[in-house]
Amino acid sequence: MDHLRIVVGFKVTPDYEALRAPDWARAAGGAAESGGGPGAPETRYVRRVLGVFDEAALELALRLRDARAEAGLETSLAAFSVAAREADPFLQTLQALGFERAARVDPRAALDFAPRVTAAVIATYLRRIGSPDVLLLGSRCGPGESGAVPFLVADELGLPCVTEVTDVQIASRGRLRVTFAAGGGWIRATIAPPCVLAVGNAVVSMLRVPTLKDRLAVRERSLDVLSSGELGVDAAAALAGEPTVLASLETIDRERAGTIVAGRTPEEKARALYETQLRARLERL
Amino acid sequence: MSLSREAIVEGLRRIVGPDAVVTDEKILVESSVDNFRKLQNIFDVHTAPVPAAVVLPADTAQVAAILTWANENGVNVIPRTGATATEGGLESVVPDSVIVDGSMMNQIVSIDPYNMQATCQCGVPLQALEDRVREHGLTTGHSPQSKPVAHMGGLVATRSIGQFSTLYGGIEDMVVGLEAVFPGGEVARIKNVPRRAAGPDIRHVVIGNEGALCFISEVTVKLFPYFPENNTFLGWTLKDMATGFAVLRDVMVNGYKPSVARVYDPGDAGLHFSHFAAADDCVLLFMAEGAAGIAKATADGIQAIVDKHPECTQVPSEYIETWFNDLCWDASKITAEDERIRQTHNVNRTTEISADWSSINDIYQAAKARIIDEIPDITMMGGHSSHSYINGTNMYFNYFFNVVGVGPEEETDKYYLPIIGIICEETLKRGGSIVHHHGMGKARAPWVKDEYGSSYYILETLKRSFDPNGIMNKGTIIPL
Amino acid sequence: MSARETLRVAAVLDGTAATAERQARALGAFLREGLRLGADVKLVAATHLFHADQSGRESLLELAPTTDVRLIRTPALRADLMTAALTAFEAGGGAELFVFPGGPLGTELAARLAARTGGSVMTDILDAELSGEGLACRRRVYSNHLVGLFELRSLPWCITLDAGWSDARPSAPNEHVVQTVAELHEDDSSASGPLKSVEVLDQPTTGDLEAAKLLVVAGRGAGSRDGVERVAAAAARLGAAFGATRPVVMNAWAPPDRQIGVSGARSAPAVCLTVGVSGAPAFLWGVERAGFIAAVDTDERAAITGEADAVVIDDGVAVIEALADIVASERP
Repeated sequence: MDHLRIVVGFKVTPDYEALRAPDWARAAGGAAESGGGPGAPETRYVRRVLGVFDEAALELALRLRDARAEAGLETSLAAFSVAAREADPFLQTLQALGFERAARVDPRAALDFAPRVTAAVIATYLRRIGSPDVLLLGSRCGPGESGAVPFLVADELGLPCVTEVTDVQIASRGRLRVTFAAGGGWIRATIAPPCVLAVGNAVVSMLRVPTLKDRLAVRERSLDVLSSGELGVDAAAALAGEPTVLASLETIDRERAGTIVAGRTPEEKARALYETQLRARLERL
Repeated sequence: MSLSREAIVEGLRRIVGPDAVVTDEKILVESSVDNFRKLQNIFDVHTAPVPAAVVLPADTAQVAAILTWANENGVNVIPRTGATATEGGLESVVPDSVIVDGSMMNQIVSIDPYNMQATCQCGVPLQALEDRVREHGLTTGHSPQSKPVAHMGGLVATRSIGQFSTLYGGIEDMVVGLEAVFPGGEVARIKNVPRRAAGPDIRHVVIGNEGALCFISEVTVKLFPYFPENNTFLGWTLKDMATGFAVLRDVMVNGYKPSVARVYDPGDAGLHFSHFAAADDCVLLFMAEGAAGIAKATADGIQAIVDKHPECTQVPSEYIETWFNDLCWDASKITAEDERIRQTHNVNRTTEISADWSSINDIYQAAKARIIDEIPDITMMGGHSSHSYINGTNMYFNYFFNVVGVGPEEETDKYYLPIIGIICEETLKRGGSIVHHHGMGKARAPWVKDEYGSSYYILETLKRSFDPNGIMNKGTIIPL
Repeated sequence: MSARETLRVAAVLDGTAATAERQARALGAFLREGLRLGADVKLVAATHLFHADQSGRESLLELAPTTDVRLIRTPALRADLMTAALTAFEAGGGAELFVFPGGPLGTELAARLAARTGGSVMTDILDAELSGEGLACRRRVYSNHLVGLFELRSLPWCITLDAGWSDARPSAPNEHVVQTVAELHEDDSSASGPLKSVEVLDQPTTGDLEAAKLLVVAGRGAGSRDGVERVAAAAARLGAAFGATRPVVMNAWAPPDRQIGVSGARSAPAVCLTVGVSGAPAFLWGVERAGFIAAVDTDERAAITGEADAVVIDDGVAVIEALADIVASERP
């Protein structure tokens, strides 16, 4: 293919690692107290980050473009996020990195645990802009991490989908050589566009950084922003029909007991440790 | 005549025993640099002379024996503890140096809650000391970002400062006494007293000597009551740094002692606060702490001062508190940072200076403009002021660049040192100090005479007197 | 509320993959222990076994976790054909619950099947329970900080299992009633599969520290190079992987490839024994995913004591050597 249209979808989430144990406990307890809704951690006060697999997908797209350019092939790059305004700084960065189109589809609804609605919005958007040759997505993203969205989108668009992709190289006749994790090992295979590639633990997982001059060059460029309503999808109404619903949240007990093993000598203590704690565990190994 | 590497290793083994002399090639190569040339370790491309050995003394007597031997044989000695230095202070710049690593001297000698002081050996991690004194409801008050990894000896040797310095001071305000070993093997103990006027304060010969005069083997620091429940956070957005500096000055001049008082420029704020600050916003923030009445009075006083600046827009304190709780380096952050550099070749560096209130904004503006203009491949140029005083404040320049067209080992020459050069020039021109709290190391040593001016005479005399054979950390503070 | 009498379950096993045995274990254990039906509901389950050729069929059959087995022959890596076969099965009466093992293929089949049948998809579930008209499933959310309880409403419910299920004990063997359902060939589909020139790459050589089930780590509290070497010898006798903290490596008491923690290996053993490890954050990062941590240290105030399941206050080298003696004497 002389010209390849690559579109990357990404998500921006709160930096969950910045929350502490009490924040998680409050999230789980809050729902029980209020008696309604599943509860959610308070994330207003933490910064926003790219989904780790989405970040890898974005960088893989750039590397694919670079490799094709070296081979004298043209590529157009577009990126989108189904998100509120918090995605805008990331979209501006992508513009500076050479994504010709940077779009945000505002669902005006919380789609965190709604893979079916999310996939429907994405598929509708892609049909609107023209289904891409290659759609790159992160294989999964917080807070739900279902891993289902790429397949649901692929199914709506009638495309094959490879997930847990770790690397993509260009191959002859416009095809791609894709490495992915499957069945407990790794497989490398050739795939012809159009296709969906869902990126997992990629060899390259971090997005390059544009220079201040790159940023300056695209300063005047605007983002495409459209609501899901403008696409003809009422995300809020669709949510009511989402077949899976988050009912409640529970904390995970990670506290280790720190039981002191008694004894007079090292031998006695080793014996007590073995009898009370280790024997059964070692037998199971 | 200088000793061969074999003779150096042999000499050290005789002093401390074979187990305490490390000659593993990989460890020696890694030990040839510190974070100043961290890309050499991240990419495993090394250019500095490989040290002859790392030696691990068990006590002060062994340190004294090592320094005596090194002094007699002209062997260059690089003292270190936690090895978290950022300015090349631990770099070996002459062949066959010996790294004297105090990390095995890691005993907390005493915690004295009545006299509010704690004594520990040089290799005690600050975090370990802090955890122990917290059991008594106390704190060291010292909290540099490197707290989880840095050790007490190194913190004192580099005149480090912590995030709460505006209340508790820098390490020089905390050290009440110490023990240091000099090149001839002399062990000097400075006793622990509240104050004295028996001549010059000789603590300051040792604090900040960066291993260029002596080896710090033990320190005694002050302790403070710990009232985390009273911590109060305040934050504002604003459009220019000049206003931010002016507010910081008002707070300091009016006598308030917040533990944290900072103003971030838009670039630096973007790294931390983009979830509530616009791309062109500066962020001003404070933390008040201490006994309930003090914390409240401090917070109220600051609120009243900032209220007089209508151009500052207050933000919910939770933003500041949540950010603050996630500020220190932890293990996973360091790993992720190294991996990011490996993959993207995008490098984050910092340089900190200080100046009086009249000059600080000019230095910030001039250095920033020149760096953006003169240095290629800059991806972010910004900074913040984080330590304020009655007469001025610091500026912590924080910047990122892509390493393009050169190997990782050339990153310092192509980017880092030229940037440091611009910052030092603009600072010196306006009478500021080129180093606020990282130490001179070898990175900023070339500017030492300009930094000291006529007082260089005192520094030079100290060096000549205490280290006549020039065996202590060659190239640090005073260039080769 | 309609009283449900049965639940029709399809357990889907991909016999074309090398992981068939682990999949079977997961499916069997989940049907036994992970799915709560209530007293009056009878489980009617069949295994849908995809297999690539006739030769390995018998040994695959042994793995099937249910008595009823439906055999479907398919080329490997043909999720498209498998999806079509399951969709056709569903259209012909099918099942209410489809259970897939965890992993990429299970996710793909569950998602596509749900998309085509109007069903519900839920991946990586910890357990499930019938609840009124729906199925209540628990799974990890928020980067494993919380567990979410979800309700699956529309039938069929298409679920995949959390990776933990594949470590379960194998099911007792079944007598199997086998039905050959379909032979899917390349030409059953209008187009051939999307993947060409398929190469299976060498299995990654995961370091022994990353892969360890039992791990012994020496810290600076082992006291000397000799102490660390004694810990390593005891680890070998225990059949454990041997790791060391950064200070031990920096003292050259152990080689650099033994380092656990930041700038070393990150391990997730079932059992981790630390010897003279103080518990610096940089080290804890390397073992925080361990199933069980026992710490031996002379300092009862060391940070490690707050991070371990069991703590022995004593000389670490002596305790680990005594422990190796005990385990050796207990072995048949």
